[in-house]
Order: sequence, then C-alpha cells, then structure tokens
Amino acid sequence: MSAPVCLEYRIEGNDFMVAGAASNNIKNTLKMIGISSEVCRRVAIITYEAEINLVIHAGGGVLKAEISEDSVLLIAQDEGPGIADIEKAMTEGYTTATDQAREMGFGAGMGLPNIKRNSDLFEIESTVGKGTTLKCTVFFHKQQ
Amino acid sequence: MFHSVKISKEACQGCVNCIRVCPTEAIRVVDGEISIIGELCIDCGECLRSCHRQALGIEEDDWNRIKESSRVTLIPDPVFFTQFSHYMNPALLEEVLTSLDFNVLIDELEEAFDLSAAATAQLLARTAPQSLPMISSYCPSVLRLIQSRFPELISRVTPILSPISLAADLWHMRTNSSAPITLLAPCSSKITMVREPQGRERSPIDSVVTVRRVARSIMASNVSTGSGEGRKERNNRWIEWARRGGETKHIKAFSEKKLTILSVSGMRNTIDVLQELELGRLRSVDFIECRTCDTGCVGGIGTADSRFLASLRLNNIKTDWEIKPKDLRRVEELYAMDFWSISKEYMPRPRLPLSDNVAEAMVKLQQMKEIYSGLPHIDCGSCGRPSCQAMAEEIVRGHGSVTDCIFKLREGIASLANKIVVLSESQPQTLKRKGGAN
Repeated sequence: MSAPVCLEYRIEGNDFMVAGAASNNIKNTLKMIGISSEVCRRVAIITYEAEINLVIHAGGGVLKAEISEDSVLLIAQDEGPGIADIEKAMTEGYTTATDQAREMGFGAGMGLPNIKRNSDLFEIESTVGKGTTLKCTVFFHKQQ
Repeated sequence: MFHSVKISKEACQGCVNCIRVCPTEAIRVVDGEISIIGELCIDCGECLRSCHRQALGIEEDDWNRIKESSRVTLIPDPVFFTQFSHYMNPALLEEVLTSLDFNVLIDELEEAFDLSAAATAQLLARTAPQSLPMISSYCPSVLRLIQSRFPELISRVTPILSPISLAADLWHMRTNSSAPITLLAPCSSKITMVREPQGRERSPIDSVVTVRRVARSIMASNVSTGSGEGRKERNNRWIEWARRGGETKHIKAFSEKKLTILSVSGMRNTIDVLQELELGRLRSVDFIECRTCDTGCVGGIGTADSRFLASLRLNNIKTDWEIKPKDLRRVEELYAMDFWSISKEYMPRPRLPLSDNVAEAMVKLQQMKEIYSGLPHIDCGSCGRPSCQAMAEEIVRGHGSVTDCIFKLREGIASLANKIVVLSESQPQTLKRKGGAN
C-alpha cells in the first residue's frame, strides 16, 4: 500500500464566485491516477456541495481529500454555527440559507441530501456554537 | 489523428503566446519549436489568434484546383452569406455562385437545418427533466472539448448529426450522384469535422476550404448581378446559425412547449457554462447552444470579414421564422427517415493517467506534488509548458527536468556560485604561508 496523498484547501466564507475551484482540483487529481469518470463525478458533486456549505453557512473552513489506493476520504471541517437538528438538515428542501445566498441560486436545501446520496460512507458531527465536521468516503470500485 | 491546425516550424520563434491560450493545454515548445499533442488538440483555432508570426495555419484543400473541375458542388456554411458587403441579400449571392457555374445546395441546407432544429425540439420534449439540459452538437470543437475536458457530460450532447453534413446526405439520396461535395468552412473545427467526423464513420463531404479563401476569390472575380428578383423565395432561417442565438431561435420555432435555452459563445464562456453544468448548477435549463468562437461562427478563424460587420449584416437579412404547413410536412417526412441521428457513439477522450497501476500513479502523484511545490507558480511559460502544474506532470511522466524552469536553473547557478566562492577561499596547504608572499 502506498501512502495516501492528501490535498487540503482553505475555503473562505461568503465568497460565492470562487466556490468550485477546490472541487475541480480534486476531480482532476483523481483523473490523473486513473479513477473512473463516474467516481470522479460523484466526488465532484460531494466536494462542490461541501464547499458551498462552507461558503454559505459556516463562514469558511477547510476541505480535505485523502486519496488512498481504493478510496477517497473527503473531510469538510468548520468552526461555524453548527447544525441544531441534523435530521432536519438532511431533509430535502430544508434550508437556513440567507436571502442573499438564495438570490444567487444557492441554499435550496439539497446540499446535504445530495452529498449523502453520492457517498458510500457518510458521517456528520456537529455542535451548536462550535462547528461541523463532515466525513464522506467514496470507494473507487464497487464494494461487495 | 487528423488536425486542421498546422504548424510552420520555420516561422515559429519559440514565443509562448499560443501555449497559454490553448484550452486543453495541448501545445508545448520543445527545443525551440512548437509541437501540438494530437490527442489533446480540439482544433478550435484559439492558438492561431494568438500567433503574431503566422507560424500556425489552417490545413485546407486547394481551392484553385477544385474550382477548375467541371461541375463544382458547394455547401456553403451559413457564415458565407454574411461576408459580402455588396451582396447583402442571400439571393444575390446565390445568383453570383450560380452564374459562376457552381452547384450550390441551398435547398438541401434549408431542409437539413429545419430537420436538425425540429429533431432537437422533439428530443427536448421527450427527455426526462433530470437529463436536461442537453448540449448542442453543432460546434465540433465544443464536442471535442467535452470529450476531453468534460467526459461526464458526453451523454448530454444531442445525438443529432450536423445539418451541414445532413444537407450532403440529402443531396446524395436524391440525386444518386457521387460527384464530390466541397464545404466552405468558417473555421479549423469544421474542417476537422469533415476529415474526422464524430458520430458517423465517414463524412458525406469530400473536400473543404475556408470561407476566407472562397469569399476573397469571389470578391476578386467581381461578378455583376441582377436584382436577385424572380429567384426562389427563401426563409433564410438556416443562415441565422452563423451567429450565437440562431440555433436557439430555430429550435424554439419548432418547439411546442416553452423552452429555456442558454446561448453562449466564446471559449471562456463555453468552458464556464460547461463547468457550471457539471457542478449541477444549471437546473431548469432545457438546452445549451454553445460555440467556442466569440459571437458564434462568424467569429471563426477562417472567415474573410469582421465578425462585427458580419453580425450587423445578419440583422438586415430578411428571415421568416413562421414554419409553414408545407415546411412542417417536409420536416416530418425527413424526421421519419431517421438518417439524422448518430450511428457511432461519441466517445470520451480522457487524458492518460500517470500510470496504469493506481499504486504507482499515487507515488508519481506525490512526486508531482513535491516538484510542483518547489516551482514558482507564476505560469510564465518559459519552460515551454502552459503552467507549472503541467511542467510538474511532464517531469514525472519522464519528459523534461526541473532545470527547464529558468527560476530553478537560476537558483541552481546561484548555489553553485556560492560554492565556488567558498572553495576559492580555501587554499592548498603548500600556499598557506604567513604574509601570503611566496
């Protein structure tokens, strides 16, 4: 087993225009090691939605990708307001986004459900007032 | 793999203007000479615009030879009709071409473009909302860009053949003639479409020359015309495809439901819109018309006149957007024949991974990250690669060394110079005498 390759990006809060850059970079890196286009597409969706969440809700944070031989672990970490009711946040259409974010077409309440749908393993931890950590794993090959 | 962008090595000065404008990072300057990586090039012609020394050109057939043959059959691109200030009316230009004894397939073009628009409208009507928007297949460079940079979007490209080649198919079907057809193309991209078609095995078109070449030759021949009166009434809808938005209008004219369509032109806009689509941002859009050239095909690299004037002339061309019952009947008949859909799937053209083996590729990826972190990250192009990232990648792939970077080379020389100073201060034992005199 070769050592995992780690990519780390600092995402600034409220900067809507650059959101997507880290996600694009992670996707291109996966392509470079020969990961299938379907897996790359799922990773791109997860990382993009996570990036948007950091921008809209958390006032910024860190997005990490740990690439190993059979999977990629994606971690989004912030010190934002936290999520009071995770179950509710996982419901499609539920949103706490500001009007400004919604005016720009974000914050439709699809982010977390979309992330979960595209992940093979999904884990979220959040403490109100402290922040949120999201961990998603995508396997490169179908698990038996 | 055929490419219509050709290099003249003698003219190339090794400047790096072109390598940075290439949207697929296909160009390198190695040993002072430009080279294009064939698997990456999409023949968009962006590099030609950036070259000040005519080191890049378009590979086209010889118009002088073609026009001397006995009966020349021509398919002019819509753009051709926007290039002349003195034949503002398409009917006049048609008359000029006929008087020069060219057989021009305008009837077939009118029908083929109607067919293409109608087939797209049909497709959009029966596609499930989650598979929308679809992307136009009209610009061959957009298709090639998607194949190489956005392979995840291939399934969204309409499986409809180019109306330009459909016009040639129609003519072949109707006349049973095997006479060669020549396309007047506004860009390098459509030349490649003829030589190496997508979605079908062989192109029904035999040779291809640029709009520029033929428009200039016709201007020089200075044919006087009548009034254009008495010629067949044309709807001119297909000519609108020369400019961004033309295809959109045409599809809307054939659509029963109200469509939301984005019309985008220019390389940067095209890449942006595809990126946004890939990230799932373009919900509620039905169709994307995109062209890699600014303002649409009139901005092609093989045109004769200003894209601004060409676009202005299009405003003055009388276009009839009302689909007459006889047009509709004709289109429905053609649609039923199903020769308009692709017979060969569009395939992705992904970049080669660093290694076939994931573990090995990861080792190289780590090396690449380390090399990259030592580079200056200013993407100056002096190493002959489009970016520091591309340079790091080439080094781990075994092409080139870190000293190709002038900044790394300079660092190397500086540290060597320091060593020389240190060494020069240490004297051999025999010379180490007090006072320094021998």
